Amino acid sequence: MASSTPLDQTLQQIFERNDQWAREIETAIPDFFPNSANEQQRPKVLWIGCSDSRVPESVVTASKPGEIFVHRNIANQFRSEDLDAQAALQFAIGTLGVTHIVVAGHTRCGGTLTAYLKGLNGRSPETPLDRWLAPLVELAREKATSLEVEEFTELNVRVQVDHLVESETIKAAWASGTNVQVHGWIYDLETGRLRDLGITHTKDR
Amino acid sequence: MAFDPILEPVLERNAQWAEDVEKAVPGFFTESAKGQHPKVLWIGCADSRVPESVLTASKPGEIFVHRNVANQFHPEDDNAQAVLAYAVNDVGVTHIVLTGHTNCGGAAACHAAANGPTPPGPPKTPLDRWLAPMIALAKGLTAAELVVENVRVQVQNLAKSETITAAWASGKDVQVHGWIYELESGRLRDLGITRTKNHH
Repeated sequence: MASSTPLDQTLQQIFERNDQWAREIETAIPDFFPNSANEQQRPKVLWIGCSDSRVPESVVTASKPGEIFVHRNIANQFRSEDLDAQAALQFAIGTLGVTHIVVAGHTRCGGTLTAYLKGLNGRSPETPLDRWLAPLVELAREKATSLEVEEFTELNVRVQVDHLVESETIKAAWASGTNVQVHGWIYDLETGRLRDLGITHTKDR
Repeated sequence: MAFDPILEPVLERNAQWAEDVEKAVPGFFTESAKGQHPKVLWIGCADSRVPESVLTASKPGEIFVHRNVANQFHPEDDNAQAVLAYAVNDVGVTHIVLTGHTNCGGAAACHAAANGPTPPGPPKTPLDRWLAPMIALAKGLTAAELVVENVRVQVQNLAKSETITAAWASGKDVQVHGWIYELESGRLRDLGITRTKNHH
């Protein structure tokens, strides 16, 4: 569709790649798109990851459309007072029947590094980005003197997993007998590999 | 971790993918770890059928992403505002693409709530509160019209944001686009409602 603004080359390429991709899928699996549209989505996994362009969950896990429900924000945060992430969690568990929640942090995270450095120097939150990072800055204030930044990145994932486990949505799911699991992973930018931190929480433990 | 039939295959596919990439493009990951320089911020739906990097055949490093229920950009949402600010000011993206999609469950729920026999009650759960603006928007529209109107409204919200207005005021030509992803065909469509420094 023609835009009133001439389309930048970057975006033009995106449209071309999308068209090419759609054609390839249509050729390989003729009913893929109509079926995808007609059926409800039934992903089993909610990925709570970072907005970082280098961590596109479906590419790094070679997943097909329909497999992973996704919420991505700065430094893969989950806190109960954040309506955005809360709504995604509630929709995932309550409406879609997702059973596995993966908090995926990653190495060389800019948001985490920013919080880590601010924790060491201290300043009041002013902008939305400041306010967003404030809890992580607070954590860094307590821990950054004794942890390297990559250890702090892992601690961040553990803390977000704890927040999920303490949330009303998860507690209610477990209380009703639904075995939702919460996992903490790290994506290593240097190797392209996902690593399970082994801090999984389930209904029974 | 005990064998998990859902996640174990995910981790295996990742290991295979990483191996394949390393073979095809030796040094890709080491280079990628040095920094990111995406030109595009995608604000899209959390819907599992709309993975931006797969449907645009993009490589890691190309698209900075925020995905939430029904691709919202609420002025009072620190989460989305922080993503926008970081993307524009720290990462240096020049295009914001707000992408809605057909068959959106969030849009369908809002449409039903707004146009049902009884008027929607006060929002009770976080999801209710999250969707409240879209429920208000939905009155009198079809579900399909709502998907498009929602994208228009979010593009407007973006254009009015502190981050974007400040960028334009300082001479940066950041552009805000509204797109729709059509599930039935796998195709992206530009709604032609782009806002730029000189045309907003």
